[in-house]
Amino acid sequence: MPMVLAPEFKKLLITRIFADEKLKRHLENLGLSVNSEIEVLSKSGGSVICRVKDGRLALDKQMATKIFVTVKED
Amino acid sequence: MIKFALAGNPNCGKTTLFNALTGATAHVGNWPGVTVDKREGVYKKCAEPIAVLDLPGIYSLSPYTPEEVIARNYILDEKPDLIVNIVDATNLERNLYLTTQLMEIDVPMVVALNMMDAVEKNGDKIDAKTLEDKLAVPVVAISALKGTGIKELMNRAYAASKRKREGISVLGSSALSKPISDLTAALAKKQVDSPLFHAVKLVENDEIEIKNHPEEYKLVREYKSGFSDDVFGDDFEAIVADERYKYITKHFAQAFVRKDGEKVRLTKSDKADKVLTHRIWGIPIFLAIMFVVFHLTFSENFLFLAKALPEGWVSLEGTWAEGLFGSADGIASPGVILANLLNLITGSISGAVSGAMQGAAAEWATGLVCDGILGGLFAVLSFLPQILVLFMFFSILEDSGYMARVAFILDRIFRKFGLSGRAFMPMIMGFGCSIPAMINTRTLADEKERTATVRVIPFFSCGAKLPILTAIAGGIVQFFHVSNADAITYAMYIVGIVTAIVTVILMRSTTMRGETPPFIMELPSYHAPQAKALFIHLWDKLKHFVKKAFTIILVSTILIWFLSHFSFGWNFLPDEQMESSILAGLGKLVQPLFTPLGFGSQLGATGWVFVVAAITGLIAKENVIATFGVLAACLGFAYDGDADPNGVLAATIMIQATGITIPALISFIAFNMTTIPCFAAVATAKAELDKRSFKWTLVFWLVTSYTVGTIIYLVGSWWWTVFIFLAMIAAAIGGIIVYNKKRDAKKLSTEAPIK
Repeated sequence: MPMVLAPEFKKLLITRIFADEKLKRHLENLGLSVNSEIEVLSKSGGSVICRVKDGRLALDKQMATKIFVTVKED
Repeated sequence: MIKFALAGNPNCGKTTLFNALTGATAHVGNWPGVTVDKREGVYKKCAEPIAVLDLPGIYSLSPYTPEEVIARNYILDEKPDLIVNIVDATNLERNLYLTTQLMEIDVPMVVALNMMDAVEKNGDKIDAKTLEDKLAVPVVAISALKGTGIKELMNRAYAASKRKREGISVLGSSALSKPISDLTAALAKKQVDSPLFHAVKLVENDEIEIKNHPEEYKLVREYKSGFSDDVFGDDFEAIVADERYKYITKHFAQAFVRKDGEKVRLTKSDKADKVLTHRIWGIPIFLAIMFVVFHLTFSENFLFLAKALPEGWVSLEGTWAEGLFGSADGIASPGVILANLLNLITGSISGAVSGAMQGAAAEWATGLVCDGILGGLFAVLSFLPQILVLFMFFSILEDSGYMARVAFILDRIFRKFGLSGRAFMPMIMGFGCSIPAMINTRTLADEKERTATVRVIPFFSCGAKLPILTAIAGGIVQFFHVSNADAITYAMYIVGIVTAIVTVILMRSTTMRGETPPFIMELPSYHAPQAKALFIHLWDKLKHFVKKAFTIILVSTILIWFLSHFSFGWNFLPDEQMESSILAGLGKLVQPLFTPLGFGSQLGATGWVFVVAAITGLIAKENVIATFGVLAACLGFAYDGDADPNGVLAATIMIQATGITIPALISFIAFNMTTIPCFAAVATAKAELDKRSFKWTLVFWLVTSYTVGTIIYLVGSWWWTVFIFLAMIAAAIGGIIVYNKKRDAKKLSTEAPIK
């Protein structure tokens, strides 16, 4: 599911990222790459704040709809 | 001199460390992207002096924004003797990602584990020794803020800089080790510096590398054709990023020991964000904070207590401090009290000077000193306290980490105008000064968004334009007895913001078309503002302002005085004959141009003063009111500069002498706010933009200010003209929509056959 729809405070795994080359590279540099673990901290009107590694990253709605995640089973 | 470069992620404390090392007072703030240019200083406490270079923050050596390019180019081209890699210990894994890339370069390196105090406060631990063994470079725990560990860091760095170091990669055992080692060998044969680094970047499909080594890139393509990964296919850059992070988690992250095992806690910052970035409450909270800031700075009726207090008890009538803490209108806010205090001082100085010179010196000399120099200078200085107070509040908000959140909550709104929330930072900085604001647009990755932002920054009325607002607003209230000066000032700020929004929408749907860039921003942890950093900011601002007042503004007020007191035949003119001065002659020449704006030909013989004031504003915006001060004394009205620290009286005299109307005055303020900014800002815009868009930027400023002024004057004078403008605007919007539709349709039809 896209990140905008993901539940808050659950460990998530990124499954796919739809973005052009340059943007995807930037996201990877920030720690947002396929298979990396993230957690949605809050959502406001589609914009998302998520925890990536130990930092907080804010993303706008379009960005958050292009990142697909699944809930990580413990 | 040997050179050390400071490299690290944005907002990891590079500039704080730089200031601690070199004694510099560079601007630091708690949001990613404060430093957008490189900066050099000297560290003197080692065996030999060391040049230390502060670089903009980077997430990776594959740049995404213009300021990241600066850092990469420096590290690769200038070849520092050593890289000090600053690592934010509170976000270890992400920060070490850059470290794994820096390690690949053949340059000595040390890792500074910064913010160790914050880590320890959380009860977590990082074992620097373990990390050092794994990374094979010295690791020193420091706190740049508290100044701990810095001496040890520099001593070890100095020792390390004397030894040669060869790049190592964490990708050695990855699926891509084969092409990397092949390429490294090939590049080494060609005598390329840091072959390993370039080899890895080539495998990552780095644009810059492919351009530089097209031959070698063929090898990568060859290898790619026979390669497939289960998850990433042949996406090498994703594989490399993934491998780096995997290696970091597996080998380096052990050094980090969390207090309560693996569980990640909800930090205080996360809890604060629940409220401050709330979907509904976020924006009202931001507006409330802004209101409080402006209220504390400008209000003459602090906390709206005027009605509740017995009359006359704060005005201290009859004492030296009369009016200092407030007047019949209410208690003064802290900003106003400071301004009043300064005015008391400057007032007594100019009183003493004019008293001493009266009769003792020639008439022209008294005029020059009292009206020309002191009048103009004090008119400008009197705004310093309020500018500083406003600046202080913004620094506190910035240092706490709140401004990054505001960028986030405003992103949703900015998106409607075609900008990302990132553009908020330079815009809010524009309220202080356009120059740093324009430079800061380097954090915007999209070129068109950047150009559009630079263009509208002057519309966010800067500190130097504030005197224009308050003086004329005061003049309007005093002369016409309407409205309230504060209300007019606020309204003018809003006019500027609305102009910015409208022109941004216009640009983004015509000449600066393009998709709204994505908003991706790191949100730093909140922390209490640092008193030391705050005072450094304020001191720098004060120095800058005073320097400007005593250089460019002093010179221009003297110049204006001379031009207004001498005729073309170089004869000294007493005040009454200013009509025939050089300045009047020049002003009258261009005066007709401003007729549609309300301060042109219709003002008659003395109307040129407004035109001249606006032109002097091109040198520095403070000059507009300083010019009023100089000219008011000369228009044949009794004018006492000492009693008029805010230029209100000068503005009133201007109104009386010229018979200008209220709409024309508002139009005059709006024109000054939105026209070409001061010389210094124009020069900055020129440096930040490419040649072609800079030329258009000048045209854009002129057209915008002329249009805004005209609309305000015409609608204000004859309200029914609003229908004409509405019709024109509707036609323009319709035209743009139709044109864009056609254009999109055309684009689709040309693209279709390819599919």
